[in-house]
Amino acid sequence: MKRTLTALLAAMFAALALPAAAHHSFAVYDMTQNIEFKGVVESLKFRNPHMAMTLTHKKPDGTTETINFVEGAPANMLVRMGLDPAVIAPGQEITAIGAPRKDDPSSYFLKAIVLKDGTRFQSIGP
Amino acid sequence: MTIGISRPGAVALALGLSALALASGLSAPAVAQQAHPDFSGLYFPAVGPGMRTQTPNPLPYNDAAKKLLADYEKHFTLDDDPGRYCIWPGMPRAVWGAPFTVEIKQRPEDVSIYWEGYGMYRKIYMADRNPPKQLVPSAMGHSVARWEGDALVVETDKLKPYPYMTRMATSSAAHVVERLHLEERTAANGQKAKYLVDELTLTDPKVYTEPVKVKATLQLRPDLSLIEYTCTDTLWDDYLSQRGLTLPDLDALPGGGKE
Repeated sequence: MKRTLTALLAAMFAALALPAAAHHSFAVYDMTQNIEFKGVVESLKFRNPHMAMTLTHKKPDGTTETINFVEGAPANMLVRMGLDPAVIAPGQEITAIGAPRKDDPSSYFLKAIVLKDGTRFQSIGP
Repeated sequence: MTIGISRPGAVALALGLSALALASGLSAPAVAQQAHPDFSGLYFPAVGPGMRTQTPNPLPYNDAAKKLLADYEKHFTLDDDPGRYCIWPGMPRAVWGAPFTVEIKQRPEDVSIYWEGYGMYRKIYMADRNPPKQLVPSAMGHSVARWEGDALVVETDKLKPYPYMTRMATSSAAHVVERLHLEERTAANGQKAKYLVDELTLTDPKVYTEPVKVKATLQLRPDLSLIEYTCTDTLWDDYLSQRGLTLPDLDALPGGGKE
């Protein structure tokens, strides 16, 4: 199941389409990328105007690293899509898809969340 | 007391009042004029063809404002976003704002608008109901309205400056005129839907050489609800982080069925 906010967010930023920047622009992120991390939620800030999350995953070499999703969709938009924050609470295993900041590739925008049952919450992008 | 009257209800009321007026010797047209469209309801920003006009790009900044814009762009980055710090977009930007539910409550004396996004709130006072004065400029300004047929014409001033040059800046000289009316159209799903159309004209001679016109549309969505939107959590989280403080986790306490 795919629940998408793409249209909503596209509308949001079109609606706020101001001469040079929107509410805030995605220009600081490389939104062409969709980097997938399967891991365990370490921390969650389910808030507005943008949620934030850290996720610990195992790298191919067996070591672990924590990915910092510095922002994602507004919490209210995710709730309206049907996302119960309990399913992405710390300790939950999920897949998170992000786009890195251009000036700090260790920080990501959280583009999508995929639960273990395959339910997908897409905030922006394909 | 809030009195909400649907359009059919308003018509029926008008007919009833007309009959009453005739019986009482009052002018029927004068009484019927009181039956206006009711904008009350839950809405969501509408998108798609014809729903809104893009903000002019570039905006018609005057020469002095162009210099301020150039200087602003030298010093401010995309991360310097007032929205991240919970600064209300205010008027006129709120009209075509973020995709969250909007609730409108209409009374004979005023119209109240609640935006879920940023928890914004606006009051529009009817000109013929002795509107209060506003001394202090604000993000939403002072809005006074009159009916022109089925359109509500709203004039807004007393706006505090919004000096974010890449986000449709406005000075305290800004004056906004809106025409709001209801329309019924076929939505993307093929069903008939009701829309509230806001045709807005911003005049700000300190900043722009000519009026700036924008149209925005809300779709009536009685199936939606307002969700609490607290914007300042991030600011508080950042403060705690800087202070190295962690709040107690009350939910970790025993009892209450969450063990």
